[in-house]
Amino acid sequence: MREKILRRLADLHAQHPWRMLIFVSLLTILFMIFAGQLTTTMRVSDLMPEKHPRVVAFNKVIDEFAAATNLTVVVQGDEHRIKAFADALAPRILSLVDSSQNEKWRQEIAALDKKLARLDAHDTEKQADIVQEIRQKQRRLDFKLFQRVDYKTDTEFFKDHMLMLIKAGDLNNTKELFMDPNLVGLIRNLNNSMEKEYVGQQQSISTREKEDGAVAFIGGIENLIETLQLSMDDHVTPNAAQKAADKLLFGEPYMLSYDRSALVMIGIPHFTIMDRDLLLIAAVQVQELVDDMLQEFPDVSAGLTGSIAREHDEQVYAEQSFSYSTIIAFVFILFILVFSFRMWVAPLFAMATLFIGVIWAMGAAWLAVQQLNMMTAMMAVILLGLGIDFAIHFVASFTERRAAGDTIDASLEHTFLKSVKGIITGALTTACAFLTLMISETRGMRELGIVIGVGLLAILLATVLVLPIMLVLRERRIDKKIALCKKTRKKRDISFRFLGRLAEHFSGSYAFTLGFALVITAILIWSALQIKYDHNMMNIEPKGLQSIALQDTVLEKFDLSLESSLILANSVQESRELAEKSKDKSSVALVSDISAYLPTPREQAERAPHIMEIKTAMHRATVRQDIAPTRLPLLIDELDRLETNIIEMQDMAFLGGQDKVDNACKTIVGDPENPDAVSRVQQLIAEIENASNAAPLLSQFQRFFAPYFKNTVLRMSTTDPITLSDLPVSVLDQYSNKTREKFLVTVYPAGPLWEDKEFLERFNADLDRVSQRATGSAPLFTALISIFARDGRNAVLLTVMLVFALLWIDFRKPQYALLAMIPLAAGIFWMVGLMNLVGMQFNFVNLIGLPLIIGIGIDDGVHLMHRWKIEGHGHMRTVFAGTGKAILLTSLTTMFAFGSLIFSAFRGWASFGAALTIGVGACFLTSIIFLPGVMGFLERKVVHQPEKVREVEEIEA
Amino acid sequence: MKDYFSFFAALLCLCRFSLANESGEQIIQQVNDNLNVENSHSISQMTIITTSGNTRTFVFESWSKDNGEKTLICYREPTRVKGQATLMLNNADDIWMYFPRTQRVRKLATHAKKQKMEGSDFSYEDMGGGDAFINDFVAKRLDDEEMQGCDCYKLELTRKPDGDVSYSRLVMWVIKENYYPIVIDYYDEDDRQRLHKRLTQSEIKVIDGIPTAHKAVMHDKNDNTQTQIEMLQVRYLVDVPDDMFTERSLKK
Repeated sequence: MREKILRRLADLHAQHPWRMLIFVSLLTILFMIFAGQLTTTMRVSDLMPEKHPRVVAFNKVIDEFAAATNLTVVVQGDEHRIKAFADALAPRILSLVDSSQNEKWRQEIAALDKKLARLDAHDTEKQADIVQEIRQKQRRLDFKLFQRVDYKTDTEFFKDHMLMLIKAGDLNNTKELFMDPNLVGLIRNLNNSMEKEYVGQQQSISTREKEDGAVAFIGGIENLIETLQLSMDDHVTPNAAQKAADKLLFGEPYMLSYDRSALVMIGIPHFTIMDRDLLLIAAVQVQELVDDMLQEFPDVSAGLTGSIAREHDEQVYAEQSFSYSTIIAFVFILFILVFSFRMWVAPLFAMATLFIGVIWAMGAAWLAVQQLNMMTAMMAVILLGLGIDFAIHFVASFTERRAAGDTIDASLEHTFLKSVKGIITGALTTACAFLTLMISETRGMRELGIVIGVGLLAILLATVLVLPIMLVLRERRIDKKIALCKKTRKKRDISFRFLGRLAEHFSGSYAFTLGFALVITAILIWSALQIKYDHNMMNIEPKGLQSIALQDTVLEKFDLSLESSLILANSVQESRELAEKSKDKSSVALVSDISAYLPTPREQAERAPHIMEIKTAMHRATVRQDIAPTRLPLLIDELDRLETNIIEMQDMAFLGGQDKVDNACKTIVGDPENPDAVSRVQQLIAEIENASNAAPLLSQFQRFFAPYFKNTVLRMSTTDPITLSDLPVSVLDQYSNKTREKFLVTVYPAGPLWEDKEFLERFNADLDRVSQRATGSAPLFTALISIFARDGRNAVLLTVMLVFALLWIDFRKPQYALLAMIPLAAGIFWMVGLMNLVGMQFNFVNLIGLPLIIGIGIDDGVHLMHRWKIEGHGHMRTVFAGTGKAILLTSLTTMFAFGSLIFSAFRGWASFGAALTIGVGACFLTSIIFLPGVMGFLERKVVHQPEKVREVEEIEA
Repeated sequence: MKDYFSFFAALLCLCRFSLANESGEQIIQQVNDNLNVENSHSISQMTIITTSGNTRTFVFESWSKDNGEKTLICYREPTRVKGQATLMLNNADDIWMYFPRTQRVRKLATHAKKQKMEGSDFSYEDMGGGDAFINDFVAKRLDDEEMQGCDCYKLELTRKPDGDVSYSRLVMWVIKENYYPIVIDYYDEDDRQRLHKRLTQSEIKVIDGIPTAHKAVMHDKNDNTQTQIEMLQVRYLVDVPDDMFTERSLKK
């Protein structure tokens, strides 16, 4: 049956090459259209099992929470300049629209309008559907990309409810602060509050949250002193005085780093990370905007990060890497083929076939999975390395027969009947090895198996359908030329005789060969056992990506990892409980959730009396229009006291290792370790003491400051309960979904997630204790690693069993199947051992190389065993000169294909390419060292043990 | 004469038998006695990790009285903290601090004893001494184990229902030879299975007849940070006047 089909196929090619050409051209166009639909995704969640609870939760967050998708602009420079930059950039980001697809939407709307007009007037349901569809498409016209840019706090809400958001205990300790709007009274109250805190709240600067609070508080004081100094220079404005009041009451409004040299702006889009086209457009447009703005602000630097920028950068780099690697692999393979076949045309035909095969494979990939992920994106390179083998065998067989003087028809039939059978078996074995990955739970591995397995079959099809056409057409032309010129064909020996001589030598001294090979294997097994696993996910990311580098900047400047984890809550109360539980965990730095804006009714009731007390006191407080000169000594005393309090806070912070508080204090009272450092408080005191008009200058400040401070505190002193509907949209969008039924708790880790495996495990364990629904990069990645390990183990076992079964069927004797697997087994240890020796570590990308190398590395042993069986005893030189050359060639092409990945910007792929390059090389070496030794041993045994002769002869027969 | 020797041999065996069968309570009592010396004076060096990830080393002198019930710590190095002092009374229930730059004394609230001390991985509670091992825990002897090359008793101390401590249980390896705890594992307040901190003591020398670790490393497993305290000098047979432990003496 198989022979009949193959013979028919050979006949078709030989008789009707043009018809076949038209057929494959049409097929290629069709698959090219399919391949054009393929998209890529670099998200870790797209590698996970779709129904895994963490993936379900993650996708739900992405779908429902606008803030889960963001584009972050990190601006660096002088504080005032970066604030100005942000103020100018924010409205421009908000005005960005996508008009690039307007034409397409208009056409679709017009088509729908026509369809609507044709509809039966009574079919209201269908009409409504079409109207709805038209509206959706109309919304995409001049699509507004961003709904919000968060870079400073919405103080309006705080102005109404700030006091209700302070814990009752803290209100009790700090309420004095809000009771006197006049300068002297205010500073006195500040001092009282600071001194009280030491007694009542020993933990004032012992946790991250408290440390941040202390830094914000000191920032407010610093701003007040700065504004007072402005007043002493007669430069104070109402706006500056009001800003000083706001900063004292609400903290720094801009999202500034601790050292105030960096600012983040978070753009919240109107689309989700799943909208690939909009994501790419938005990232490009904002980058262009930022680049334009940087012309106006040459002293400022700015770049993009966040999920949109990262996804954009990764996709762009992935596509670039993919293209570079494919081109490099093509060039290298072509070079090897030309060198080994010593001709240009046949290798070019082989490469053309491969190119068409890859197009078919990509078309098939779209039909099978629609989207390439972090693992399948390198499919083309893998297919190049593996698929070229089919063409090599085909070309070798066909040209051999033609060189032997056969006709085109006879050569083609011989090639189809003898070589293509072997090619099909080889392709099926390798494809099956990949297809075993379909049992994987992880989507990444499963799709890799499908894409490569199906891709190999597509290339196999291309080899038997496309390559013969080109060869037949070329041979017809040559035949015509030869007939015209009356020339004869040249015969060339293109076997690798050195391999034959080497194998004969190894086989002759089999004891030494096997001993040497075993010693090397033992050393490499020892080395393999030392190899480490790299848990740092950042090490698989492209190096030098701006979006990744800026994540480190944010971590360094803001002491906050952007790799937050997310927990979905079904109510505000649940959100509060989850946040409270999270805050208790030592691996957690910060927790952000809606409950910070929505105290419970009981909490609000507890706070109300303190607020009323503040309100009453502030009502009674008289705003003094002037500061009498007689009150200046009192002001100076209070300023002295303020300095003392800050110094003590600074010393406590230094002893407690709280660097941020220490540094913040240095900006006011100076650095005690720097004798030249000056205290701004003392500067102010000196200015007051030395100025004859200090009282009127400070009175001017007081006139701007005190009434505003009083009014603001009174506005803050409302005891009206805060409800969900009172919250500003920016807060609601950040923490709740569109229907305001689900709430998001964001948990920030206290340490570096990827550089410290123990910390990552502890953070995940803490998240698990808080909620099993926690998702985000840390839980997803950890779950992925554990499922990958399980999948990898299962895939390895299944592949080994499958390969053994196929070999058993092929060789008909299990011992021969085992013999063929010896080089593979040793090759895997050599691969891992060598990886360790060259300083490589396993990561979750290159680990996939292990099951793959079983499918790829087995070929060398199988081909050599087959040839050995065919040639019989004493033909070691022939076996290795001929088949040895073939396996060297296929190994080299595969190595170059995988090796091209080493140039990939994605370090995970580069390490995958390097691992498989080493693996394929190792399997080739073990095949040409172990097998001659074993074969030599078996041949000698036959000589010395006559009783086994029959058995070996039988096998060889 | 033979009977005389037999009697002594039997007595010796009995003694060994009784030692080998000491209960957890008896062992922890010995440990407590070892650690709670009447008076002490020492100079130590402590290295901490700051919130920015830098290391910072302090040298401090400390005096302790009444089995650790009163402790005074004076910082000597670096220059920036020279003269800064902490006074702990009532087993660190009351804490005062003196700031030489401002020459003022401040009181910290009582429940600070469970908080980290000066950015270290030790809490005031860990440093305060007292009879916490006896009063707040129930000791149970586990199978003996070798730890850091020493033959050790292994004890599990479980918090009593009314125990005022921040650990659910402790596991302690006590050197049989001198009843000195060489390693103590502190378990999470809420999760008995979760190791929170591990204290490893080494370079144990006998000072004034009392075994003393000259190096202690506290590793906080939660934060993955560690603090090392090295004893540069220590004396137990010292007279420590009562008036050292007053607010006024802090300034001296």
